[in-house]
Amino acid sequence: MSVELQHPMNPHKTADEAARGRFVSGMRSLILNDLAADLKVAYDRRAVPAWQRSHGAPPQSSAEAHKALRGDPAFNIYSAMRVQAQKMVWASVAESVEREADRLGAAARAAGGRVALNPTLDVPKNVGAIEVHLMPGSYTRGGDSLEAGAVYDRGLAVFSMGLMGTNLDDIGLSMSCYIRLKYPDFAPQSILDTGTTIGHNTLPWKLTYPDAEVIAIDAAPGVLVYGAARAAMQGQDVQFVQMCADKLDYPDASFDLVWSSMFLHELSKKQRAAALAEAYRVLKPGGLMLHMELPPNAEMSAFDGFYLDWDSWYNEEPYYKGFRDEKPPELCAAAGFAPTDYFQFVVPSIGIYGEQAIADLIASEAAEAVGQATTGRLAEGVMWFGFGAWKK
Amino acid sequence: MSETPRPDDTPPGLYDETGNARFFAEPAMDRFVAVVMNMAQEMWVQEERLLALEEAEGSAPVDREAKLKAFIDRLFAPIRGA
Repeated sequence: MSVELQHPMNPHKTADEAARGRFVSGMRSLILNDLAADLKVAYDRRAVPAWQRSHGAPPQSSAEAHKALRGDPAFNIYSAMRVQAQKMVWASVAESVEREADRLGAAARAAGGRVALNPTLDVPKNVGAIEVHLMPGSYTRGGDSLEAGAVYDRGLAVFSMGLMGTNLDDIGLSMSCYIRLKYPDFAPQSILDTGTTIGHNTLPWKLTYPDAEVIAIDAAPGVLVYGAARAAMQGQDVQFVQMCADKLDYPDASFDLVWSSMFLHELSKKQRAAALAEAYRVLKPGGLMLHMELPPNAEMSAFDGFYLDWDSWYNEEPYYKGFRDEKPPELCAAAGFAPTDYFQFVVPSIGIYGEQAIADLIASEAAEAVGQATTGRLAEGVMWFGFGAWKK
Repeated sequence: MSETPRPDDTPPGLYDETGNARFFAEPAMDRFVAVVMNMAQEMWVQEERLLALEEAEGSAPVDREAKLKAFIDRLFAPIRGA
């Protein structure tokens, strides 16, 4: 199903646009559920035995699973259709964004919102030159206009099939709920979201800790302009600032919480290490660094690892696999955090299972049981993986 | 897209000369899959128009999501279990 965004930037779709979006969501459901199941059957029945005959053992890694499946009919069909469905996601919203540019502009001006752009910032290649998620023009489409943000917001509503919440904020809502329940004495007064795009997973932190000053940064200007208006329309006071996460313009010990969601895997290895080091630097003693991310390959089977890494080869996510091959505890340690202050967890979607499910998981300590059964894309239910570390 | 860096262990032959992913031995098949999906989408748009007209003339409302799932399952049944 396609999501109807619950804020005033929600598109006024024509009947044909609504039908096109609905169709794309339906196709993605076919591909990610039915064809993915066919792919796993093909892997077990054909790819693994063939690989075992030629290599003496089943595929041992994501890369080997990928090589074992290349050329298999199920892989070809799944992949070709998934690539096309991804392109159709963005195509299905492009017309409404273009047609509604004036309405969105007027609404954004009326809403206000706090945004500070930096025209002298050298936008990194991974933000503007790579068409991430096969998204035409990537995050810098339309410069500092609302275009990139509107395409991203509306496209994600089609892409997510309802799994990311009605305002695409389920990750932030679930994670902030987990932290509030797990660490009831933690009351951040200053929160920094790095790689925010349109702020969809920033706003839940303001909702959870309303007294905190919340700042959201991104390197791309247009998504920030859109995000600031989107936040203001929802009555949320968040400041949006154009800045790179690997070169923060804040003094040491400025924040109680540094957060990101689905961001680190879009950075190069060098940028990622620098961003984590910067997070450590700007955290106050006692502060928390927290990232929602893709689970690491070390926690998954070769097939499930490949299934996630597929995006790295075919969805213009070139750094995705490199990130998933890394070990989060080692990344945090390299950034300066003590190994004993590292933690990781999975949290159930609050939109699907409710707050009580999160509380129950914390009480049973099951949230810390990160592994194949809870983090694979084919695992039961919708669970978000997170990791972080406290700064002493 | 051709400037996109790739993972270190990327096998050769994954992309065409413009950087687009290719999957089938016959490159035209990759494009043909896209054509089939686009055609199916346009068919669905027409289907929704018909449903709207029928409902306007007094037919009972139709659950679009359920109707779409049946439509997609029926149309793409031949590729299941590949």
